[in-house]
Amino acid sequence: MSRLSFRPRPLDIHKKLPILKSIKDFEDDEAPSTSSSTRNSQLLRLAPEANNEMHQNSLKKSSSEIPTPQFNVVGTYERDYSRTFAQPPSYLRGRGARAEIREFVEYDLDNEDEDWLQELNHEKKILAPERFETLLFKLEVLDHKARERAGIIAPTFGSSVPVLLQLDTAAEALQAHSVRSAVFPSVYNYWKAKREQWQKPILRRLQPPPPVNDTNPYNVFRPREKAHRLHTRRMQRRENNVQSFEKLRQVRRNLDQARTVLEALIEREEKKREVMESEVSLQRIQIKYRHEAQLIEDGFALSGFPSNSWKFGSSEDDFLDSDDTTSGHRRAQSAAVQNPPFTDSKLIVVPAGQMKREMRRRPLPHGWLRKKDLDEPVLLFTRPLDPDKLAAASIVQPPDPPAENGSVAPPYRFQGRIGRGGRIIFDRWNPHLQAPIVNEVNPSVPPNNRPPQPNG
Amino acid sequence: MARAPRTAAIRTRTDTQPLRFSPAVQMGSIEGAKAENGVAAPACNGGDQRNGGGGGALPDGEAEAGRRGKVGAAAAVLPLEVGTRVMCRWRDQKLHPVKVIERRKIPNAGPNDYEYYVHYTEFNRRLDEWVKLEQLDLDTVEADIDEKVEDKATSLKMTRHQKRKIDETHVEKGHEELDAASLREHEEFTKVKNIAKIELGRYEIDTWYFSPFPPEYNDSSKLYFCEFCLNFMKRKEQLQRHMRKCDLKHPPGDEIYRSGTLSMFEVDGKKNKVYGQNLCYLAKLFLDHKTLYYDVDLFLFYVLCECDDRGCHMVGYFSKEKHSEESYNLACILTLPPYQRKGYGKFLIAFSYELSKKEGKVGTPERPLSDLGLLSYRGYWTRVLLDILKKHKSNISIKELSDMTAIKADDILSTLQSLDLIQYRKGQHVICADPKVLDRHLKAAGRGGLEVDVSKLIWTPYKEQG
Repeated sequence: MSRLSFRPRPLDIHKKLPILKSIKDFEDDEAPSTSSSTRNSQLLRLAPEANNEMHQNSLKKSSSEIPTPQFNVVGTYERDYSRTFAQPPSYLRGRGARAEIREFVEYDLDNEDEDWLQELNHEKKILAPERFETLLFKLEVLDHKARERAGIIAPTFGSSVPVLLQLDTAAEALQAHSVRSAVFPSVYNYWKAKREQWQKPILRRLQPPPPVNDTNPYNVFRPREKAHRLHTRRMQRRENNVQSFEKLRQVRRNLDQARTVLEALIEREEKKREVMESEVSLQRIQIKYRHEAQLIEDGFALSGFPSNSWKFGSSEDDFLDSDDTTSGHRRAQSAAVQNPPFTDSKLIVVPAGQMKREMRRRPLPHGWLRKKDLDEPVLLFTRPLDPDKLAAASIVQPPDPPAENGSVAPPYRFQGRIGRGGRIIFDRWNPHLQAPIVNEVNPSVPPNNRPPQPNG
Repeated sequence: MARAPRTAAIRTRTDTQPLRFSPAVQMGSIEGAKAENGVAAPACNGGDQRNGGGGGALPDGEAEAGRRGKVGAAAAVLPLEVGTRVMCRWRDQKLHPVKVIERRKIPNAGPNDYEYYVHYTEFNRRLDEWVKLEQLDLDTVEADIDEKVEDKATSLKMTRHQKRKIDETHVEKGHEELDAASLREHEEFTKVKNIAKIELGRYEIDTWYFSPFPPEYNDSSKLYFCEFCLNFMKRKEQLQRHMRKCDLKHPPGDEIYRSGTLSMFEVDGKKNKVYGQNLCYLAKLFLDHKTLYYDVDLFLFYVLCECDDRGCHMVGYFSKEKHSEESYNLACILTLPPYQRKGYGKFLIAFSYELSKKEGKVGTPERPLSDLGLLSYRGYWTRVLLDILKKHKSNISIKELSDMTAIKADDILSTLQSLDLIQYRKGQHVICADPKVLDRHLKAAGRGGLEVDVSKLIWTPYKEQG
């Protein structure tokens, strides 16, 4: 099988990859001659140590011969740069930029300046180059300040930068430099002419950068477009004006309304929960009642009372139709009867004799309670099935199971009811009581009595 | 990513249509991570170049001349036209094929006395220079027959690239990425070096490429740089006068690393704008495809210095965006020529990754890498990764390697794959870490350069103030 017949999965960088320490493990046994897998092994096989050394040497040799432009050592270096630097023991810290250091003259004379100065001096010493440098620097700074005050500092280099500084203002400001009054105007005029020729400040720091849309590669160090700071389209659309203010106010109003609605919703849901809780406790109480009734019944059974004779419940089927209010009403009735009122079904320790008497006296509530399934409040929501209606809907009750051993089948009946989802449910065996559903026409059989014994 | 197809496209172009310069493969020196644009010496034709470059004497050139068809001395009309191919005596006293790029009249000389700016076709254009007529062997002059064919092929290619350019231009980059069209434009602008030499501290250095100095400096072929503040002047006296007042003895930022005589300074382009700009002007002289398009205030400059009793002398530097949205940890890198091949470049690369580790980020150099930049980076990646694989015993994921080294996962994958150390077998990827194989690759990757002692790095990542 060729190794190329399947495509490798893309490598998952989070997956831990096995590291094979031997090249032999790494090579695929199935296709040892495939070029891709054997490069490394060939490297090992074909390049013994000596060979490799030679290869390295030749590489080194050729790399040393690769030409680059040359460089020389400057003869005057040792003289130009003084040996005055001593490294402090701690790491050096940067100071502020030069612009912040007042006394430093940032400007360096260029060829033009030097030539002009030489002409001015005529072998005499009218103006020292350092002094000239200082003057030009101060003129530049003063002019920049004047333009700053006039508010015409261009952010980028569009048109030529005008000279704003006047001779008399400059002379006044530079009095402290005690330049001879005859020299200063010529320096000023030289500077102004130079500025007008350059059309921009001669101090590089003060030159405006080229405009953003200028594509001339000779112009460098553009400012970055402001728009680039806005990363998303939404941020680009948002501006600081009345319109967006109104928009944001609208957003705020909407959010406030949404909050009001939500608060009302929460209130409603809390009320609903209260209602639900009261319903639940209501049903609990109903269940307790029924449970108690069951115990009473058990008490009857234990005392050997002939339960078969109980017939009174047969006419009470209508309770299944009853809604909460009627059953609640009945519950209230029975609660009134019970004395003392119970709080928990487990507490029922009523003597059987007394219970008996009460049963006889008040058969009605006991009857419906007894008939109901102990743990199934579900029945509250069900109605009795009308066999006629079922038949009309062509729903047939399941047939009785066949008789066993030829004997008479016990009177099994299915109890039909409507389940919570609206389905029709036929119960054959009560899962809670583990007893068959008794015949509706013979409801007097107590659930625990298990009458349908084959031979009974 | 959009980048991959472009690189491939440029390679295609390089293969089919050589430019005026033929790239020379240089080992061991870094010329700049982002220079060259992949145009110079892609791996596929590197081998040829090495043969030509290493040899010295040039049988290749002769053969080429023969193929083109000699025009002969009789046809050599003076002055030579731009585009003429001819043999030229180089500094090794041997004849090399050149192409005339530009010519200029020699002042105060006869009407036909010209100097010629020539490109040595077998070398990188960093070696282009002005030569006198005596250096040219006029017997070998040939007309440039295939010029038109080349141009046609180029223009066809260009339109396709231009289309692509519209889609792919990344305006936000500090350094625009060049495609074939802008590359041509770039060459047109920069075909002749404006500054031939610079003086910087102890060294007078021949420049390598054009740099867009302000127009006032255009008439000067040599510039004098102040070694410390990097201000540049046209006359030696100006520099000497400047040195008397210059108060700097080291780059104007904070020292963040010191080991022996080696110090690293961090300079904020915003706080020291003029210094940053000076540094860029200077660096461009040695980097072909660096651009100075945008201002320096969004960058930090890490300037490596050798210190003595005269001050801290710049050896090289790398720049880094303050906030990179593409996780770049390095924009430009340069070792100055007098300090090349001494391991400083690898130190700078290692340093950039140490900063990334301190930031808790994974980083990668800004693309495209130059041939030399890629070579240095491959060497660094190989060494770092293979050292880990040698020691590591249990399984390891690419992500874990990335977390350990601050190298981007893509770079790790490409490194291991190029060494054939990752393979897919039996349904999963495995890494080969045979010690013998690793040692061989490590040897081929070259020396490690100067080590970065992390304990001596005192640095906190950049935070915007205010």
